Amino acid sequence: MSVNLAVNLGGLPMKNPLTVASGTFGSGREYAELWGAIPLSVMGAVTTKGVTLEPRAGNNGIRITETASGMLNSIGLQNPGVEQFCAEDLSWLATQDVPVIVNVSGNQIGEYVGVIERLERETVVSAYEINISCPNVDCGGMSFGTDVVATAEVTAACRAATQRPLLVKLTPNVTDIAEIAKAAESAGADAISLINTVAGMAIDASSRTKVFERGVAGLSGPAIKPVALYAVHRVAEAVKVPLLGMGGIQSANDVVEFLLAGATAVAVGSANFSDPFRVPHLIQELEHWCKSEGVIDIQQLTGALT
Amino acid sequence: MCESNALLVKAQVIEQVSLGDGSFVEMLLDAPRIAEQVKPGQFVHVALPESSQHILRRPLSVLGANRITGLIRLLYQVVGEGTRLLSEVKEEEELSLLGPLGRGWDATKARKCLLIGGGVGAAPLYMLAQSLKDRGISVDVVLGATSADVLVCRESFQQLLKPSRLHLCTDDGSLGYKGFTTELCTQLLQKRKFDYIASCGPEPMQNAVAELAERAGVSCELSLERRMACGIGACLSCMVDTVDGNKRACVDGPVFNAKEVRW
Repeated sequence: MSVNLAVNLGGLPMKNPLTVASGTFGSGREYAELWGAIPLSVMGAVTTKGVTLEPRAGNNGIRITETASGMLNSIGLQNPGVEQFCAEDLSWLATQDVPVIVNVSGNQIGEYVGVIERLERETVVSAYEINISCPNVDCGGMSFGTDVVATAEVTAACRAATQRPLLVKLTPNVTDIAEIAKAAESAGADAISLINTVAGMAIDASSRTKVFERGVAGLSGPAIKPVALYAVHRVAEAVKVPLLGMGGIQSANDVVEFLLAGATAVAVGSANFSDPFRVPHLIQELEHWCKSEGVIDIQQLTGALT
Repeated sequence: MCESNALLVKAQVIEQVSLGDGSFVEMLLDAPRIAEQVKPGQFVHVALPESSQHILRRPLSVLGANRITGLIRLLYQVVGEGTRLLSEVKEEEELSLLGPLGRGWDATKARKCLLIGGGVGAAPLYMLAQSLKDRGISVDVVLGATSADVLVCRESFQQLLKPSRLHLCTDDGSLGYKGFTTELCTQLLQKRKFDYIASCGPEPMQNAVAELAERAGVSCELSLERRMACGIGACLSCMVDTVDGNKRACVDGPVFNAKEVRW
């Protein structure tokens, strides 16, 4: 029995529903080097680290800490800026024969649009993921994604700048994520990505200090999977566009749970750190799961809760 | 970009020996492919036993590697629950290792070397001392710790070096010179001529060593410790502030030229 793993994420065809969560995979180069004979093109798509108009140095001080079944990060969108990203990362990705979703970040709406306008000249870009949900920056980021009006404005501005599939990545740190998702959909999003990290904090008892300079950091890993599943389920009921689900995915079973909750595709994040081969192995495990469960087309699983 | 020779392997634990006051552990593992590849100053990224709630690997120093037996020795300090779980792993159990990782020491031009280890920082210096000695290059080693019972690597170094080349110190004077490694180094730098310094230890010590080296006009490398997630350069967690901006401890380091590092 052969299994059809292919999906279409808001106009982005993927040979299987697996991509990575932005920021956990760089632009794929380090992983590709480690994978050796396994090409990056086994994945449904690569999602890049967040890109801004100008270079960003990221946050000072400690940037990660482990928590129970998870981790907190405060990287702060460190990236070389869109020009260097095009010259180095995209030119390399162009040789990899894999769909590329570029994660776009900014302080103001104009910056998001500026990044997209520059990326429109690059044929290797398949889709954009608009990051309005990063908890680790003072301006932009989550401040857009926690407000219905701001979400609609930034989505509409990005929509006007491109014909390519447009994903909007949402934060779970809101009262009602479904309202935000509807605003993004109405403003022209082709798909919704969720969830970004959950706002959290770590404190060092012995020194009585905050672990992270900014205090707040983003929680990811298996600890947030139930939060993510519920968010995907809520949003799936509220919008018609397809969803890219993520939050603590480790196993094929986890992937299936997200699909059942309503996701069309999924992203693996922190699990790339514990097992750098997690994504290629998951693709095989997912196919095996489908075979053993008699699922011939993976799309049958999306939203198929009984 | 660094040329990666990293591998993901399952390695059987041969033995774990508790050292010093019991908070240090030397772990012997059967990892022939890593033993073959690892260079002095590189590290391995060790996953904790499966089913644990600890999702991040732990970057551990390679104390030694034997290409013939295929065994590697790692040294770590039990500091939290993760390293405590690691210390409870039994013989014959397997651990997932990613490595060897990072840019190690570059002592190719060195002829008269001074190696400085503070506490568990002595670990990444041992393979360097070994390889320098094999090449017939003069090596002095300064090891320091708070007290004699936590001066954990000294037996390994004692087997390698003549007593006149190994300089020990403790904060409480329970063994060797009473005082800091940097004081012993200052004395050595006055007595002898060195053309290369390698140092690993607590950050204040590293900073002081960098200043000593600068004043003495001696080329100096530091192995720096950072929290890490991926270990291969993708996640940007382990940043080191350098004169050329942020660098990643996992692939641009952990060994850095002292002149590069901003304090």
